[in-house]
Amino acid sequence: MSGAGAADADAVDSRVRLAGVELRNPVLTASGTFGYGTEFAPFLDLTRLGGFVAKSLTLLPRQGNPPPRIAEAPSGMLNAISLENVGVDVFLREKLPALPPAVVVIASAFETEIARYAEVCKRLAGEPRIAAIEINASCPHVEAGGIEFGQDPRVLAELVRAVRAATPGPLLIKLTPNVTSIAEMARVCEGEGADGISLINALQAMEVDVETRRPVLSNRLGGLSGPAIRPIALRMVWQAAQAVKLPICGIGGITSAEDAVKFLLCGASAVQVGTQNYLDPTRAQAIAEGIAAYAARHGFARVADLTGALEDPPGKPR
Amino acid sequence: MGPGDLPSPLRITAHVLFNRVEGGLNRRLGLALARWPTSEAGQFVMLSPGPLGPVWRSDPLLPRPMAVYRERRAGAGAELEILYKLHGRGTQLIASARVGDALALVGPLGRGFALAPPGAPAILVGGGTGIASLYALARELAARGPVQVLFGARSADDLMGVSDFEGLPVELACATEDGSRGARGLATALLEQRLARATPGDASPWVYACGPTPMMRRCAALCAERGVRCAVSLEQPMACGFGVCLGCAAPLAGGGVALVCRDGPVFDAARVDWEGLR
Repeated sequence: MSGAGAADADAVDSRVRLAGVELRNPVLTASGTFGYGTEFAPFLDLTRLGGFVAKSLTLLPRQGNPPPRIAEAPSGMLNAISLENVGVDVFLREKLPALPPAVVVIASAFETEIARYAEVCKRLAGEPRIAAIEINASCPHVEAGGIEFGQDPRVLAELVRAVRAATPGPLLIKLTPNVTSIAEMARVCEGEGADGISLINALQAMEVDVETRRPVLSNRLGGLSGPAIRPIALRMVWQAAQAVKLPICGIGGITSAEDAVKFLLCGASAVQVGTQNYLDPTRAQAIAEGIAAYAARHGFARVADLTGALEDPPGKPR
Repeated sequence: MGPGDLPSPLRITAHVLFNRVEGGLNRRLGLALARWPTSEAGQFVMLSPGPLGPVWRSDPLLPRPMAVYRERRAGAGAELEILYKLHGRGTQLIASARVGDALALVGPLGRGFALAPPGAPAILVGGGTGIASLYALARELAARGPVQVLFGARSADDLMGVSDFEGLPVELACATEDGSRGARGLATALLEQRLARATPGDASPWVYACGPTPMMRRCAALCAERGVRCAVSLEQPMACGFGVCLGCAAPLAGGGVALVCRDGPVFDAARVDWEGLR
């Protein structure tokens, strides 16, 4: 379809559907990289994004790790913040009403026990301003010996079942990449009634200071994010898209509209911009506009038609 | 000062006016900005790690926090001066920027220094690159009352901006660890002498410190012993500079943490957990 001529980007229909939620365009911002939204008001028009995923919420306010919490890595960064947040009740009472009504808000839930995950979802479920709930399944599960919820298919199934029962609304499960088979985890989510999956979360990683001979992060381990992880994320989104019919939200090192389009082509219905928000707080909006320009340039009337439009390599049909 | 009083930060492309060697590994960067709200003394900017080229580079990835050394209005915009030291890959790449090159900048960020009341004596203690955070403050304070500026560095080459401070109506003293300029030793020894010299009945000075953590920790202790008010400007690794990455946490004396970028970088030294700060 390339070379179809420069159509007008304004004429492109940018709307997409993700997990039953209509978005004005496929660009969301990732949980933990966009605060509670208002922090970005000086830099971009929140209503020009597809929406944003707010910082992960726990039942009670939660403090993070002691410093150092972040470190730079080649084309990426490590973080071990430990999901510091204001708690679900303060979010509903103070943070959510501060956002303009036209902003699509997806809440992110996170806990250390399955029953507590379900309780966070119950409290979020009744709030009309919340378009969907995304479950952060990358938390270490204390009862299972510290393994992430999303690393064991049985634990993940139990988690999805519990949160599915706790909310009738659109439910996304955010998957950890620290697994052998992402397809298996995607199938678990589909089997337990999730409405969509978001992937990938940060990759478990480590950095060392040779002068002090200590880990750079106080937590020793952290999550690697940024452009360094993008090819891994694309691979996982593609594999998940082959395995399930669930809508997919692609995440991992997106810095430009072209990066975002790669995820759509691999089967994502929408994307989340993460670490790039730190570097350039205006970029998410530019990416949203750039996707429409790409669609126009390549003769796609609807951005939604980019989803799964990946061609086979020459001479290697599937 | 409440958050509503601070100007909204913006993200803007800055153009290099000059980028010159200041002695040793120190560099002085001049940037032209087409738009700029007036920043307050002690605020900072996030600067892309190197000039923007035709192809976007992702390594190194994170912008670098830099104190606004000096700011001159230019119409709706401004010219900013930033003093920095070659430290790693990011600053090496910033040093490669030539006149006319573009750098991405986000700012002004953080909360600056509360000014001592008119007439109150002030003592500024700057160590190494920390000096860069104090020039705008020194200039403002010098218009209000007596100011002493105490600088410390490893050697004379590591001192930044001394000639600028010599142009201000302030009393300036330096200490270097190798004795190559001023007293041999630490800036904190100079502070200790100044505080010891005060006699009962003298107006209590306002102390401001920016430098390596051990230097600020010592300043905080010296001031706490004497009941002297001390403000410090902290530095921690940060990815965004505007309160969302939560990377730049500094431990507080009463427990919990504050974000250096949003709640600081300037803090009352008594609020900081100096043992927990690394």
